[in-house]
Amino acid sequence: MSQTMDPNNMPFLSEASVSVEIETEDMTLNIGPQHPSTHGVLRLVAKVNGEKISSVEPVLGYMHRGYEKLAEVRTYPQVTTLVNRIDWVSGFANEIPFIAGAEKLMEIEVPERAQYIRLILTEMARISSHFVFNGAFPLEIGALTPIFLAMEDRERVLDLLESVTGGRFHPNFNRIGGVKPVAGAGPTTKKDIQDLPAGFYHDTKVAMEKVLKAVDTFEDLIGGNEVFQARTKKVGILTKEVAEEYGVSGPILRASGVEFDLRKQSDYLPYDKFDFEIPIGENGDCFDRWSVRTSEMRESAKIILQAIEDMPSGPIQAKVPKVIKVPKGQTYVRAENPKGEMGYYIISEGGLGPYRLKIRTASFSNISILPIMLEGALLPDLIAIMGSLDFVLGDVDR
Amino acid sequence: MKSGERKTLNQSDQNEFINSIQSSFKNTSYNFDTLKINVDISSWIDTHKILKKDFNLSFFNWLSAVDWDNEVKTGDAPKEPVTPSFEILSCLSQTNSNNLVISSTVISKENAEIESLVDVFAGANWHEREACEMFGINFLNHPNLTKLYLPDDYEGNPLLKSFELISREVKPWPGDVDVEGMPEESIVVEEKGS
Amino acid sequence: MSFSSELLIKVLVVLATAPVMALGLTLLEVKGSAWMQRRPGPLHVGLRGFIFPLATAAKYFQKETIIPKDVDEPVFKWAPAWVIAAVVGLFTIIPLSPTLIVRDLELGVFFLLAISSISTIGVLTAGWSSANKFSLMGGLRAAGQLIAYELPLILSVVGVVIQAETMSTVGIVEKQIEFGFPFVIAGQGIAFIIFMIAATAEMMRTPFDMPIGESELTMGFMTEYSGIRFLIFYISEYINLFVMCAIASTLFLGGYHIPLLPTEWVNFYGPLVLIGKTFTLAFLLIAIRWSFPRFREDQLQTLAWKVLIPLSLLNIMVTAIMKVVF
Repeated sequence: MSQTMDPNNMPFLSEASVSVEIETEDMTLNIGPQHPSTHGVLRLVAKVNGEKISSVEPVLGYMHRGYEKLAEVRTYPQVTTLVNRIDWVSGFANEIPFIAGAEKLMEIEVPERAQYIRLILTEMARISSHFVFNGAFPLEIGALTPIFLAMEDRERVLDLLESVTGGRFHPNFNRIGGVKPVAGAGPTTKKDIQDLPAGFYHDTKVAMEKVLKAVDTFEDLIGGNEVFQARTKKVGILTKEVAEEYGVSGPILRASGVEFDLRKQSDYLPYDKFDFEIPIGENGDCFDRWSVRTSEMRESAKIILQAIEDMPSGPIQAKVPKVIKVPKGQTYVRAENPKGEMGYYIISEGGLGPYRLKIRTASFSNISILPIMLEGALLPDLIAIMGSLDFVLGDVDR
Repeated sequence: MKSGERKTLNQSDQNEFINSIQSSFKNTSYNFDTLKINVDISSWIDTHKILKKDFNLSFFNWLSAVDWDNEVKTGDAPKEPVTPSFEILSCLSQTNSNNLVISSTVISKENAEIESLVDVFAGANWHEREACEMFGINFLNHPNLTKLYLPDDYEGNPLLKSFELISREVKPWPGDVDVEGMPEESIVVEEKGS
Repeated sequence: MSFSSELLIKVLVVLATAPVMALGLTLLEVKGSAWMQRRPGPLHVGLRGFIFPLATAAKYFQKETIIPKDVDEPVFKWAPAWVIAAVVGLFTIIPLSPTLIVRDLELGVFFLLAISSISTIGVLTAGWSSANKFSLMGGLRAAGQLIAYELPLILSVVGVVIQAETMSTVGIVEKQIEFGFPFVIAGQGIAFIIFMIAATAEMMRTPFDMPIGESELTMGFMTEYSGIRFLIFYISEYINLFVMCAIASTLFLGGYHIPLLPTEWVNFYGPLVLIGKTFTLAFLLIAIRWSFPRFREDQLQTLAWKVLIPLSLLNIMVTAIMKVVF
């Protein structure tokens, strides 16, 4: 209101007061890198007009560990320890596409039993990742109870993962040509080595039934909650076209109505032997993204139950040379991870380690739509949208 | 909430797609289940437009670069000598099948410039920013070619083969041979799932 | 007993009761939430979890008080005082029995509504003086919310006042005893629900906790507070919970009265009855808090202006008509 007014040119003061507009400036709000809802260390520089967001610029790199560079100085078996830590919520699933890529270049046929073990553990990683989402997303919207229930149920799945691999988050269990053959072996000779611990099938069955029950609870407690619906339905709508152009994959893409799941389309693991469905959303809003993930947990539990029913016997490790050298070649292998499509472009020059390893992570592409989705949204919607994208900063920054 | 129908891999569809790509582009290769198109730098943008429009490759997967060099400070040098250059790679795929195409073009190190893909695929934005800071490649007509991961005052391009990994210089990586013994014979488990 | 010594005793009793009630409600909240969330900790740690609230309070006493450099220091320091003064002031009109009351004001309900809006000043100044954008947004959200929900709170009580023909809290309880039924059954059911919703919003508890909204605004207007000042905000939240539920029990649930007990002994069982009713209501709010997410700011305002206020006006109209007819 700092305009100077010339009284001679303003015959009526009332008119003058109408013509003066209050100019407001957008406030710059730094959300993160230390903020409860940014899943670690994402920083958003938001321009806000009151509660309304006019623009958002994500700032990445607080978690950048340079895995692509580090992979260049490691041998192939050592790279799996790195990739475990990319998306730490589903560490096991990260290993699969890398190992599959190296096996493809070496032209190794993986025994069926090893493939089944990989498949079961990948689905367990998916379930545990979606449990975290089912706890964290309502927490960000303001419901505090689901996270405790989710964590309790996730613990059962992690216990199973631990009983097989020895690690809860970073199993490092895959070997080129199979899986690690020593869990539960003890000091005995190699002939007695067992791959799955005693009682694994029974414990898995019990745990999966608990998972199915937990999914029902979540659909009731979270999905049936009117406030939750009011906060998530018709919020953060993502159209198919935008999602594809930005490379958004996984449950987010499926929530937008695209029926694309690499478990059905690709053959990196024997998913074609099992009966399961791909949940698809209709509106592409936050509620659909929640709903798709929650339904996926049920499908994953079904897959695991089927897999332990017809687990084949046989070797768990193919014959591989003592020192692993991958022949010259380039390949891109991708897999459907809990967060979306994860892939490794391996360029091998015949050495002990990759010449170049390009890691394509799901969360990186998934959050690149944040500036578009958040334009014009309200501040509370920002939290809901960010939560529904279910990203992990390790998966974004690598 | 509806559910997708059960789909099986259709090998003939995939072969048909590979054949159509190979007939449309001159320099293609198909190794290890990966279809790669090598194009000239001048037709980089046009190739993507054609792939997006005519081949329904609307899903932008990723874009990155490779530093080809004989003198390397990290890792192993290529066994056979290569021409020092940057190779730009981009990956496009379809959202109704497993079809996927890697496009590749080579640019010289002295004149590391290439037209930006942002106008064709908006999702290329962040990938190009990453390639820019990691390799020092200039993407022309990019809306905001600032650093993505690294601090603003960071000097150097970490993914270049000439960029030293300092910690590795201080202490060499101990594990050229795996600590854990590799299995000498394949292990057979005679156990049937319950 | 002289007026001043009587006042002194009453003030001391209130000052002793308020924190005890806050501790009790903290315990109820911790245990209730642990029970709902299958958390074993609060049910086992330290004498089966019973010394937990004391440990929390002791922890805040030890904490360093951090005052950021750019804050408006006097305003920042005094903001918690406004809030706790407002909520403790409300004890004045809560009747534990016809005689056990600090002061049975003629305009008791009016006093309640006037005093309860003072805490808005404390919250707003806390947000404004913190020199933090999140605090500022929290303070502004709080101001908008408290003003919006003051109206349904007042309007829902107006129905009770019309029906009871008095503004004195003791008078309202006596009217309910005379009537035979508490007002929640006898005509003011809708008003009770509106009052509880508006009171939840006034207390800034989930699902109306946007001013704090820890996942959006870190801690809202309390972000920059630490140590004893944070404890004051924290305690006043629970004192406020006690006061609001006590007032709701007085206005709608028959207060200190319970049927079939001899009225001449009301001074003995009255306080227990009122506290029992209060804790039951508080447990309801605790259960709501732990099962619902929070609303969005615009949904909150919509609920206040488009649903609660018209509904409470309708309630006043119906009550007034019934009063004239019968």
